[in-house]
Amino acid sequence: MEMLRAAGLCKSFGEDVVLENVDFSVEKGETVAVIGYSGSGKSTMLRCLIDLERADAGDIIVEGEYLMKGGVYAPEVEKRRICARMGMVFQSFNLFPHVNVLNNLIYAPMYVKKEPKAQAVARAREQLTLVGLADKADAMPNSLSGGQKQRVAIARALMMQPDVLLFDEPTSSLDPQLTGEVLAVMKKLAAQRMTMVVVTHEMGFAKEAADRVVFMGDHGILEQGTPAEMFGAPKDPRVKNFISSIL
Amino acid sequence: MDYFLQLCGALSGGLKYTVGLFAITIACSLPLGLALAFLRASGNRFVRGITGGYVWLMRGTPLLLQLFFFYFGLTFIPVIGKYLTMERFPAACVTFVLNYAAYFCEIFRGGLLSVDKGQHEAAKVLGFSRWQTTLRVVIPQMLRVALPPVTNEAITLVKDTALVTAIGVTEVLYFAKSAVNRDVNVLAYVVAAVFYLVMTYGLTQLFKYLEKRFSF
Repeated sequence: MEMLRAAGLCKSFGEDVVLENVDFSVEKGETVAVIGYSGSGKSTMLRCLIDLERADAGDIIVEGEYLMKGGVYAPEVEKRRICARMGMVFQSFNLFPHVNVLNNLIYAPMYVKKEPKAQAVARAREQLTLVGLADKADAMPNSLSGGQKQRVAIARALMMQPDVLLFDEPTSSLDPQLTGEVLAVMKKLAAQRMTMVVVTHEMGFAKEAADRVVFMGDHGILEQGTPAEMFGAPKDPRVKNFISSIL
Repeated sequence: MDYFLQLCGALSGGLKYTVGLFAITIACSLPLGLALAFLRASGNRFVRGITGGYVWLMRGTPLLLQLFFFYFGLTFIPVIGKYLTMERFPAACVTFVLNYAAYFCEIFRGGLLSVDKGQHEAAKVLGFSRWQTTLRVVIPQMLRVALPPVTNEAITLVKDTALVTAIGVTEVLYFAKSAVNRDVNVLAYVVAAVFYLVMTYGLTQLFKYLEKRFSF
C-alpha cells in the first residue's frame, strides 16, 4: 500500500531552483533512506512533504488524500488533519526546553488530541522505555546529551502515533558515539515496520536498515534502488562518483 | 524619632496612589504590551507600521509631557475635548499604561524573536494550533528572556510614579514635598526615599524568584 507520494514536485527559493518535477513515493512499512550531495534538496523535499515548506507545484498525497493537488493546497483544516498522520524528527531536536522530558511527550497528545493526562503519561513512559530513557522522564532537555535529546524527540513524535515518520538528518549534529544510540532506535523502528523516510549522511544506516535508497542531486532524484544496487553497482555516474568518494 | 514616625504616617497616606498607580500600570500595560508585541511581529505591514509608530511616539516623548497632555491638554481639543476630561488619578493611570505598554511591547518583541524557529516547526508538526503554540511554547520561552528587562522597567515604574505629583495626585512624594515646605525640614524627602527603596527592593526579590521559576 502506498503511504506517501509526491508527484511533479517543484520548489524554488527565489531564483534558486531546488526541486524540479520530483516524483517520490513510500510504501507502507518501508524504510527509505534519502542520500545525496549537500544542497541537493533532500531536506527541502522532506519539509515540503509535511508542509513546513510550501511547494510551488505538484501533488502531495498522504494515504490517498491530497495535501496538495496541482500546486494547490488543501484547506487549512484538511491540511492539519492530513499532516497529523506524519511525524517529524529534526536535526536540531527542537525539544521544548522549558518543560521536562515527560511534558515534551505528553503536551501534544493532551492538548492536540485531548487525551486524558494519566493515559498520556502511561504511554509516554512506555515510549521512553522503548528509546532507553525511562529514567529521564523528569529531566530537563538541556541536561541531556545530544543523543538522548534525539531519542526523546523520536519518542515525542511516536506519541502522536504517526503512520509515517520523517527524519531530517537526525544524526548530523551528533558525534559518532551518540549517533550510534540514535541509529539503534531507528533500526528498531525499521524492524517493527514503521514507515520511515530518513534524510541522512549515515551510509551505514542506509546500507543496513533501509529497504530502498534514494539518491538526490541536480534538483531531483538521480537514482534509486535497494542498498545492494545503490552501493554495489550504481548506474548514474554522479551517484557512482559520490558512492566511491565516501566508501 | 517622633517626627520620623509622624512623617511615616503622613507619607503612607500617599501610598494608596503610589501603589495603586503602580499596580494598575503593571496589570494593564503588561498584557497590552504583549498584545502589541504580537501585532508588531505580525505579517501585515500596515499593522506593523501602526504599532511601530505607536512605540516610536510613546518612547520618543517625555512621560511628563504625556502626563500633562492627558490631564491638562485633552480638554482643549475642540468639540470632543469635554468628553475626554479625566480626574487626576485616572489621567495618570491612562498615561502610564499607554506609555509602559510601549516599553513592554519592545521587550516582548525581543523575547518573541529569541524563540527559535525550530520551536514553531516542532509545534506545527505535532499538530499544535497557532494559539496553542503561542500559549504553550512561545510565551513560556519568551518570558525567560523578557523577565530581566521587565524587572528593570518595573523598578523604573516605581520611581516614575513620583512624576504624577506634577498634576497634583496625592501620592508619596506629594506628601513629602508638602511636609518639607511646611516644616522646613528635609527629613520627609529621606523618608520618601526609604519608601521607594523598600518598594523597589521588594520588587527585585519578587522578580528574582520569578526568574528562577521561569529558568530552564
